[in-house]
Amino acid sequence: MKKSLVSIGVAITVALSAQFAHAETKIGAIFDLTGGLNIYGIQQNNALQLAVENINANGGVLGEPIEVVTYDAQSELSKYTQFANTALLRDHIDALFAGLTSSSREAIRPIVRKGNVPYFYASLYEGGACDKQTFVTGSTASQQLSVLIEWAVNKYGKKIYIMAPDYNFGTISAHWIHEYAKQNGAEVVGEDFLSLAVTDYAPTIQKIQASKPDFVVALPVGANQTGFLEQFSAAGLKDKIGLVSTNYGSGNQQVVVSPAAGEGLITNQGYFMHVDNPTNAKFVELWTAKYGNDTPIVSVAVDTWNAVNLWAAAVNKAGKADAGDVIAALESGLTFDAPNGTVTLEPGSHHLRQNIYIVEGDDNHGFKTVETFTDVIPSYEREKCDLIANPTLAKHFTPDDK
Amino acid sequence: MELDYLATVLLSSLASASILLIATIGLAVVFGLMGVINLAHGEFLMIGAYAALTTTKLGIPYILSIPVAVLITMAIGAVVEILVIRRLYGRIFDTMLATWGISMAFLQLAVLIFGTVTPGIGMPQYNFQIGDYSLAGYPILMIGVAALMMAFVYFLMTKTVYGMKARASIQEPEMARAIGIQSARVNTMTFAIGCGLAGFAGAVLLPIVPATPSMGSVFVIKAFLTVVVAGPVTLTGSALAAIGLGGGASVTASFLTSVAGDAFFFLITATLLWLYPLGISAKWRWKM
Repeated sequence: MKKSLVSIGVAITVALSAQFAHAETKIGAIFDLTGGLNIYGIQQNNALQLAVENINANGGVLGEPIEVVTYDAQSELSKYTQFANTALLRDHIDALFAGLTSSSREAIRPIVRKGNVPYFYASLYEGGACDKQTFVTGSTASQQLSVLIEWAVNKYGKKIYIMAPDYNFGTISAHWIHEYAKQNGAEVVGEDFLSLAVTDYAPTIQKIQASKPDFVVALPVGANQTGFLEQFSAAGLKDKIGLVSTNYGSGNQQVVVSPAAGEGLITNQGYFMHVDNPTNAKFVELWTAKYGNDTPIVSVAVDTWNAVNLWAAAVNKAGKADAGDVIAALESGLTFDAPNGTVTLEPGSHHLRQNIYIVEGDDNHGFKTVETFTDVIPSYEREKCDLIANPTLAKHFTPDDK
Repeated sequence: MELDYLATVLLSSLASASILLIATIGLAVVFGLMGVINLAHGEFLMIGAYAALTTTKLGIPYILSIPVAVLITMAIGAVVEILVIRRLYGRIFDTMLATWGISMAFLQLAVLIFGTVTPGIGMPQYNFQIGDYSLAGYPILMIGVAALMMAFVYFLMTKTVYGMKARASIQEPEMARAIGIQSARVNTMTFAIGCGLAGFAGAVLLPIVPATPSMGSVFVIKAFLTVVVAGPVTLTGSALAAIGLGGGASVTASFLTSVAGDAFFFLITATLLWLYPLGISAKWRWKM
């Protein structure tokens, strides 16, 4: 980790001092390299640097190397607004790769819309972001939950309890759990929304026992909520009640959680490091050569890798880096042979059709694949958001609005 | 409401209050005996947690890693006192600013040393049954730990020479110096003890709250509010405030929602501070 931080430092210095180098295209990267969110931000940034290096080593885009400008958002929302403006107005970037939280994405979207710069959001999230400049490479809540709930109802039974963080990722995910429960003939017997600062899960654990579910959908966000899994297991519930999640493991929580508590937990995302295909083997090799292998690669890193590669493919296809042409190329149904399997950028929704992997925690801080769902459609985004038919659409759709 | 649910809720709420109290005592001691609000308290807790974690990883049993964590945090606390705190006596806001800065430096240092994720040690998988409900054993054990911690601090402050000197230095600083108490040295010791108690908290809570660089921030807000609500009577005040606020929040969360529990904590804090601006113990007669 120390090594990777040093290399980030070097990368930033290189990026900042590379002004003189001749480059046809310039991209901006705003990630949380310090502060509480850097579990994700460092990997997003590492993936972006690696992708750019790899593309440049293979001839760059439009025959020239890509130049990168890196900013550290310090896990602070206001920095996203500030740096997005700097990137567009001062550094004149051709594309922006930024953000982890939904609030950071919502802070950036109006700025890139006004400046008309393609923006890539590489994170799993609650879904529904829709406008001409924004492209999402992470999986959405409905994309993950559609397969997960059906799988869990078949495996454990029809009574569901929801434990989710008390903000839009949690509440919108809960909406989808209700929706897919209904479709699968199951029912939600209880739910608890928790603030990110909660460390005491005894009340939740009692409520879970009182409502006697067959399985719990737990969406712990942040380090504190990881404690829930430990307490769930220590209370002896793990053997009686199933536990599934869409975001456990997305920040390497399986490394923090003890093997006793982590074994048997079910989670699903668009990527896990152990995914078995030749592209991933090559990707993991590139990554570990540069950053070492002390921290497993998380899904947002691959989402960022995919974003950079899709953008580069679009620029090469368009023949120039102008926003309008690049967006048109991005909307041409691009596919990319990604570490997480082939992904397809949907023209209308600007979201990815991609594989979703259901995995189970093993007894050694890792995962093993239980089932792979190929080419899962972001159905909600496809239904609501058609930017080909309606290019001026700029909304964040939530399942509650009509 | 079934009796077994009620019993479970009461027991685990007492455990929640004890966890809050364990996290708070170090802050209360430093505030009560030095008038210093240590905003890096949470980071000392984090250092204690990492110290215990690292020691355990070296093969030393967890229980023995706790004193190691205490010694390490005490040593760091003493250094911080000598380098920073002692230069800012009586300047309460400057001290807050300085300790806040220290907290940020410690946090980033932890990221650099340990990375963002470190394997935890996990909670002992021991649980017991009350009626239909099973409870994890380790958090319940914290009720006893909190009681022991209180007894230790009480003994230290009332029965030892250091304790008498410490209380003399804060209550009658000039007289204390006049009779030959080196208040600077006493204060270094007090701050180190406060940090040591934070380190103890971090180590003993490690199975419940996994060690992460930012773990301190969770505790520091509630611990800080508990100390402010408690007021000048360090031990009894903190215990009462922790049971009222932490326990009350946990009971509320059990019957309503977790958000209601948090709302309870902050609303009661605001109301109590409105009624007792100097803390609930401001007019009490006893001193500990």
